[in-house]
Amino acid sequence: MTKVKSPSLKRRDFLRGATAGAAVLVTTPGAPGKPLTANPRTGPPPPMSHKAEVEIPSVAEVLTADRTGSDFMVDVIKSLGIDYVCANPGSSFRGLHESVINYGGNKSPEIITCLHEESSVGMAHGYAKIEGKPLLVFAHGTVGLQHAAMAVYNAYCDCVPVYIIAGNIIDATKRMPPVEWSHSVQDAAAMLRDYVKWDDLPISLTHFAESAVRAYKIAMTPPMMPVLLIADGELQENSIPNDAKLSVPNLVLATPPQGDSAAVSEAARLLAAAENPVLIVDRAARTPAGMALLVELAETLQAAVIDQAGRLNFPTRHPLNQTERGRDAIANADVILGLELNDFWGTIHSFRDQMQRTSRPITKQGAKLISIGSGNLFFKSNYQNFQRYSELDVDIAADAEATLPALIESVKRQLGTRGKSALQDRGARLATAHQQTLQNNREAATYAWDASPVSTARLCAELWGQIKNEDWSLVCTTGFVSRWPQRLWAFDKYHQFIGGSGGYGIGYGAPSAVGAALANRKHGRLSVNIQCDGDLLYAPGVLWTAAHHKIPLLTIMHNNRAYHQEVMQVQIMANRHSRGIDRAKIGTGIDEPSIDYAKLAQGLGLYAEGPISEPKEVGPAIRRAIEVVKRGEPALIDVHTQPR
Amino acid sequence: MNNWIFRSTTVKTSVRRTRSAFFFYQLPTSQIGFFMVLASTVAVLLTAMPTEAGTTGAPRQASKPAMGNVQNGKLVFEIQGCNKCHGSEGEGLATPGQKGAVPRIATTSLALPTFIQQVRKPAGQMPPYSSQKVSDADLADVYAFLQTLTTKPVASNAANPKEGQRLFTTYGCYECHGNLGQGSTRTGGSRLGPPQIPLSGFVSYVRQPNGEMPPYASKVVSNQELADIYSFLQSIEQPPPSNTIPLLNQ
Repeated sequence: MTKVKSPSLKRRDFLRGATAGAAVLVTTPGAPGKPLTANPRTGPPPPMSHKAEVEIPSVAEVLTADRTGSDFMVDVIKSLGIDYVCANPGSSFRGLHESVINYGGNKSPEIITCLHEESSVGMAHGYAKIEGKPLLVFAHGTVGLQHAAMAVYNAYCDCVPVYIIAGNIIDATKRMPPVEWSHSVQDAAAMLRDYVKWDDLPISLTHFAESAVRAYKIAMTPPMMPVLLIADGELQENSIPNDAKLSVPNLVLATPPQGDSAAVSEAARLLAAAENPVLIVDRAARTPAGMALLVELAETLQAAVIDQAGRLNFPTRHPLNQTERGRDAIANADVILGLELNDFWGTIHSFRDQMQRTSRPITKQGAKLISIGSGNLFFKSNYQNFQRYSELDVDIAADAEATLPALIESVKRQLGTRGKSALQDRGARLATAHQQTLQNNREAATYAWDASPVSTARLCAELWGQIKNEDWSLVCTTGFVSRWPQRLWAFDKYHQFIGGSGGYGIGYGAPSAVGAALANRKHGRLSVNIQCDGDLLYAPGVLWTAAHHKIPLLTIMHNNRAYHQEVMQVQIMANRHSRGIDRAKIGTGIDEPSIDYAKLAQGLGLYAEGPISEPKEVGPAIRRAIEVVKRGEPALIDVHTQPR
Repeated sequence: MNNWIFRSTTVKTSVRRTRSAFFFYQLPTSQIGFFMVLASTVAVLLTAMPTEAGTTGAPRQASKPAMGNVQNGKLVFEIQGCNKCHGSEGEGLATPGQKGAVPRIATTSLALPTFIQQVRKPAGQMPPYSSQKVSDADLADVYAFLQTLTTKPVASNAANPKEGQRLFTTYGCYECHGNLGQGSTRTGGSRLGPPQIPLSGFVSYVRQPNGEMPPYASKVVSNQELADIYSFLQSIEQPPPSNTIPLLNQ
């Protein structure tokens, strides 16, 4: 067959012709000229006509292509060093999908099969927190992004780079009815525009290349956030013209913004002169180097550090770590430095949720407030995650980690040799307080030690006992288990904790854990996830993804059989109204029947045990599961726990 | 209908007080004194008005704090934050004698001048309250308020710990405090078992908590039920020391 290269005969033109042809076919078999009585959508497929079988077409259609736009798109993606693509399959990006697995060899990037777009983005979220760079998400421009939206919002709030390419068919005349019309959209990015940092709709391959590299650069410049590109179906699937001059632009990442030198010097002066300086860190450390810089700053000043755990900023057993007595430290501070502190106001105020909501500052009068953060560099109006306005004395719009070296140098200069003994005394006092707090935590953990259901303190102590000698990484948030890991465990490496969801959207825990475990896999780390039951139920299929791709991950179910936060919220209302105080679990409980997560996980291909209600059975079960995880597979232990 | 009218009146009173407290929190210290004087003036005017009991209080001089106005005393008690340490009914917040304990001051046995002297120059950890911060007249009102808080028995029948455990779960106490009252830093629910405060203080706090805890009115939880819950919490054994648990020493 002779190929006729006709630039005008594009994929959608062919599809339209094919549709017309099919229409002819369904009217010709049987009795010629008579319409079929059977519904062509539900009846048997029609036989091929004799004419179509034997006649040679007068003009051969172009039915194959050697190289399409999506191949070039894969070249661009490969240039960005992206290792994985998380995707739930969708026809609007079928060109890209096929190019990744065949033209690109399904390697760098490799397709990770996801069962929900929220899982895709959640995995990307967790992955980026360990790996420090984004993976790619493919999604339908309509239903896919709608599924993904909650997870994108979490990543946006958490300042995490996620790279999304969504398929769409822009030209209305090229959409095959009926599904492609329902899955096409005029402005696909509109539904996410409030919570992505940047988006674009390239209309040529050169445009795609430049926007793809630009998007990566924007996502990776603090404040890091999700970005979104729309890949038109035509652009993906059409052949690349022979005379096309395409090239992939070089990627040069922008350096993170550092603070103004005069403002940094003023901050250093205040800190050096302070009697009780306090450092409050939230998402301050972007890398292991950031954690080391924070330790250096704290030790230089002998200052108390409160880690709000957006990342692992500061070692939990460092004597200057005063997180568990943070309120006292803040009340006693004369200078407070917030580093990438998202909620400065909420940190220095108490807020009382009674009939009349009231608040009051917990700082002492005259305390100087300093902020260094990239939050000032990027604002959007609609979503209110920027928190309440805080009156600051020095506000430095900059990336904290990039500014720390200059700040440390300035503090050292300002301190000089003066007051060394005072600094040592302060450090000694803080070390004593730290040790006392650790002891208090251990004493607190003894309460309900042998209780059934298992207390969260016992659960975390048993887990720590099994992993403490491994190269472990806790790939979940800890607020739902009363922060027992930070209170009892020794965290001292950046990869040992990934922080929370950012936007508090439930459904983040399971996929972000699998994504972080994917990043940890090549390092041979033991990834551990304390998984809330309600969170897992949003999209439990991500466990299958872990099994399918052999992502080693130990999941311990914190199965308190309720959306417990909401149980408490309903309880507050019932008490306030003095009625039905025994009915708060209506609409909030996840029991009767109690869900068997071990069976659920087994059905999805995991090794699993449980449910376990007796504390003494927890440790041995975890030990058996770790053996499975060390073989490169995911495992799950279901534990019936107390609420928090 | 009558209930609604009554309820609205109650809420209105509550709003006024709470806003007063909130207002003071927002003020620079330099202005608080001025507004305290203003508050005292208002208190004097209030004293001159007929009360619910039908009595008329005479305007008082700061130098003659013989009789106090209970209503104003309660207001001052809350605005000055006395309730934050001593409890909303002056019950104290821990067993006296222990470190960090705050003594019960309801139905104080001190004479008024000694009471004022103690407030001006406290012997223990309590911060001093100068006459610029709170006048002798206001302290007399606080004193009068405290005298009204006679300790009453909260339950007539013997407490039932088993029933208390059931109620502790059914009424949602476990949600924040844990099944055995171990508490949680996440929920803000403090450790309750075994309780560190007397039953009267326990009941008083549950009825009118000064923190985040939602109030349990007598309409939904009786004093007898609270006594049962208290007895359940009392029945919880002290755990072994942490140094005897290897998992807590790693």
